[in-house]
Amino acid sequence: MIITPEKLKKWLDNDKNFTLLDTRPKDQIKQSPIKELKCIIGNPNSIDQIKGDKVLVCQFGIVTEGMILENELQNSFSLLGGVQAWNEFIKDKNDLSRWSRQTILREIGIDGQKKIMKARVAIVGMGGLGCPAATSLVAAGVGTLNIIDGDTVDLSNLHRQHLYQPVDIGRDKVNVAKRSLENISSQTKIIAFDNFLNQSNAKSCFENIDIIIDATDNIVSRQIIDKVSKDENIPMVYGSIYRFEGQVGVFNTNNKIGYSELFPDSISGGKTCEEAGAVGMLPSIIGNMQALEAIKLIVNLEPNLIGKLLIYDSLQHKTEVIEL
Amino acid sequence: MIKIRLKCFSQVKYALGTNEIIFELEDETFTDDLEKLVRKKAEGKLDNVTLSTAVNKKYISKNIELVDGDEVAFIPPVQGG
Repeated sequence: MIITPEKLKKWLDNDKNFTLLDTRPKDQIKQSPIKELKCIIGNPNSIDQIKGDKVLVCQFGIVTEGMILENELQNSFSLLGGVQAWNEFIKDKNDLSRWSRQTILREIGIDGQKKIMKARVAIVGMGGLGCPAATSLVAAGVGTLNIIDGDTVDLSNLHRQHLYQPVDIGRDKVNVAKRSLENISSQTKIIAFDNFLNQSNAKSCFENIDIIIDATDNIVSRQIIDKVSKDENIPMVYGSIYRFEGQVGVFNTNNKIGYSELFPDSISGGKTCEEAGAVGMLPSIIGNMQALEAIKLIVNLEPNLIGKLLIYDSLQHKTEVIEL
Repeated sequence: MIKIRLKCFSQVKYALGTNEIIFELEDETFTDDLEKLVRKKAEGKLDNVTLSTAVNKKYISKNIELVDGDEVAFIPPVQGG
């Protein structure tokens, strides 16, 4: 079982009777002391001899979760996110333990998580790419998400667009997606734009946005995104699929080229998913790659796909990266 | 003569029916020459498709001369989402 820092604080405030055990090695306790919490330095081997409820603490909440499972400890709770999440909660009254599995990563950490929670991302197209990208970004804790699409849910969407259910057929995609995404996390502010992107509404869709995710299914929209991305200096995270193949890249960032330079005279981009077909897993993979690149941009993580085009062949599971 | 490896993606792959082709070409062959050859081999299936060129995994915006051992890709824009 786990307990969040917020819940633990309530237990403390309500004078609940339980034992707090710091299971970390002594040098780690010295290096990273736990704030405003008096713990017994616990011997992991004798924990099951302590009666009543126990809260076990380690640095990130991973060791104690394993300890409870492996030893089948009863009435024992692992502090989610460990000392890292608790100390942050004490400092800012902000419980980040939900994201403890990504704040453990030193490339993200608490500072990276705070950047993610302030980030404002727009997704154009709430179809095969947009649904997984939005789901992952909301789950990651992105602060604001603008979702832009004028389409309605169709039965043929459901095998790859998992924010929608049969009951949603005929309803506006963005409104259904907003409700589904809010069920994943209320942390993210979702702003729904129930219209297709065009030259006249593009600026309002991207106002105060840090990153644009191109999850559209047509070249004209991609060209509009590219122009705003260049004009407003907003990175464009491009994604697209064709049958069993997908493309991902980050354009107009660090003086690297954009979509219109890569494909200057895009007469035809091949068939759409409706015409060419699409296996449901591929847009989920590519949409998640786009979300990952957005997170890398937010936390300034390298290597990334800035100035690169990644081509993924899902039949052979091969990737090719072209320097742009 | 020079040997060039063509890597095929998206519509090019489907038009030519393969992932890769080795071409033996005359010296002083340029990227535009190879593109014409590929389009001809595709028998009209790439007529309306814009192709971007990469040589040795690097995007090339100009028509350049190919050298023995080069790896070339003609990348079409794809629009599914």
